[in-house]
Amino acid sequence: MEQNNLQELRELVEFLKSNGIAEFDMERTDLKVRIKFAGAATAASSVDPAQLAALLAAASAGNQSVAPVTIPSTASSPTVPEETLHEVKSPIVGTFYESPSPGAQPFVKIGDQVEVGQVLCIVEAMKLVNEIESDVAGEVVKRIVTSGQPVEYGQPLFTIRPR
Amino acid sequence: MFRKVLIANRGEIALRVISACREMGIRTVAIYSEADGHSLHVKFADEAICIGPPRSADSYLNVPAVISAAEITDVDAIHPGYGLLSENANFAEVCRASNIKFIGPPPEVTRLMGEKSTARQTMKKARVPILPGSDGIIPSEAEALDWARNVGYPVILKAAAGGGGRGMRICRSPEELPGLFQQASSEAAGAFGNGDLYMEKFIERPRHIEFQVLADEHGDVLSLGERECSIQRRHQKLIEEAPSLMITPKVRAELGQTIQRCLRDVGYWGAGTIEFLMDEDGKIYFIEMNTRIQVEHCVTEMVTGIDLVKAQIRIAAGERLSNIINKPIVINGHAIECRINAEHPEKFTPSAGKITAFNLPGGNGVRVDTAQYAEGVVPPYYDSLIAKLICHGADREESMNRMQRALSQFVVQGIHTSIPLHQRIFADPEFRAGQFDTKFMERFFEKQAKPTAPVTEEGHFSSDPIRASGTAHG
Repeated sequence: MEQNNLQELRELVEFLKSNGIAEFDMERTDLKVRIKFAGAATAASSVDPAQLAALLAAASAGNQSVAPVTIPSTASSPTVPEETLHEVKSPIVGTFYESPSPGAQPFVKIGDQVEVGQVLCIVEAMKLVNEIESDVAGEVVKRIVTSGQPVEYGQPLFTIRPR
Repeated sequence: MFRKVLIANRGEIALRVISACREMGIRTVAIYSEADGHSLHVKFADEAICIGPPRSADSYLNVPAVISAAEITDVDAIHPGYGLLSENANFAEVCRASNIKFIGPPPEVTRLMGEKSTARQTMKKARVPILPGSDGIIPSEAEALDWARNVGYPVILKAAAGGGGRGMRICRSPEELPGLFQQASSEAAGAFGNGDLYMEKFIERPRHIEFQVLADEHGDVLSLGERECSIQRRHQKLIEEAPSLMITPKVRAELGQTIQRCLRDVGYWGAGTIEFLMDEDGKIYFIEMNTRIQVEHCVTEMVTGIDLVKAQIRIAAGERLSNIINKPIVINGHAIECRINAEHPEKFTPSAGKITAFNLPGGNGVRVDTAQYAEGVVPPYYDSLIAKLICHGADREESMNRMQRALSQFVVQGIHTSIPLHQRIFADPEFRAGQFDTKFMERFFEKQAKPTAPVTEEGHFSSDPIRASGTAHG
């Protein structure tokens, strides 16, 4: 990797870390970057792309100092100890759908309380609809995949906080 | 030509197919069980889908999971490799119904040629010499006794629905037949879900000779010559070579013609192998057909220069054989393959675990097909084949010397392998002289157990290699 790019990358990493950004993707003609920090809280990054671009432009122009930018503070959600959350994984290969049919209400929403055996979603395989049931009782914390997305065996679909 | 192909297999053959696709500009999808997450076939495919837990039945043999993976990745075709679903006509049918091209023969032909009793009947009609055998299933011990009395002992009971030595019993007298019939039937039911048996005349010291074929979807069939696979342990091949010392150019041409005619009539397409046994007098008898690419396809590739996997893919894409092979088939030199298994070289116990050192031999005329690597893990759930070492030379002598050199440079640490066993075989005078039959390994182990056995012991040092004269002698 060229010296320029390497320096740029170091500054980028510092910038991301100091702003608590967990994941970052960028593609340019000369460079493709994907950064993911281990153990980071799954906080939605609300960094203004324009401000970030300005920072990178400044960095590549040889500007060593980090331009002071106002970035809406990334709401780092209180780190939930991983052990208490349960992931519901797909038992089959297929296509994930959150609702029983297009346009219908999703089976579950974030915040819903679910019981063991309650249908959370559908995974469609070979034109057959398979209802996926929850294997724990608790609160739906996160839907990890999006409707229409292909999923493989063992892929996490939902995060549930068990009761 | 296909845009994207899913490989419904694992290990070295999955990597072999992925490599062929890559060379042809075809995108690849690997499927894997949770035990194969770090496999080479997964690493080197363009896309990979986890389809189930480690057990084959729940993953690689799980038809809905495989088809579903093919659908979500939007592939044009599926290559089934060997073993697993490759000869499963139901799977081929599901592919067809799902509008995915199955790289292999049509399900009807797979059923016809894949089931040994119907294949025998088909070959018999085409006047391919077949081993005297029952015309179909033998339903009872009484009928078994009748049949054996007519044909003469020894006879062999075999499972109609499977192979690999399971559901098989050799019977040398009427007294033992009823008991062996029961044993074979229940073993077959356990292994293949079908306890049906058929019977054949049994040859005590046969040589296993098989012919490789390619056929296109337009009715053209070509024989690519033979392989000899007599070095077997418990009906599992250990060493294969091409050409066979027992097949003259005349026999190769004649048998090739007969096979071509027969498969044309049957409507076969794809790659396939016809297996024969040669008796002590040089007579050749059809035993079964494998409607897929085989483990040992590499030796044929080395002597003919034809890429069989690419040919399979091109055939499935509708190309004509005359485009794929536009020169006469010439057998060049000699090639031998050693199957390197993850097992103890003397006890044959499976050796799963982490490979800590892995040095592959190379150089002129040496080919290694493997999906293992240093720090790779051999999982306990699947067959023990971890690599194929193939050596080519101008003649058999050179290919054997090359193999000895290559084996000595093939270093695997962390697990046991059959490399030391192969080294001992290649030092054996009978093997080197080409004096063997399918009982070779039994005699070899006996010799190893008593190194000072007298030369005159029965069955050990046979006379000159049998000439394939085609005449029947008593």
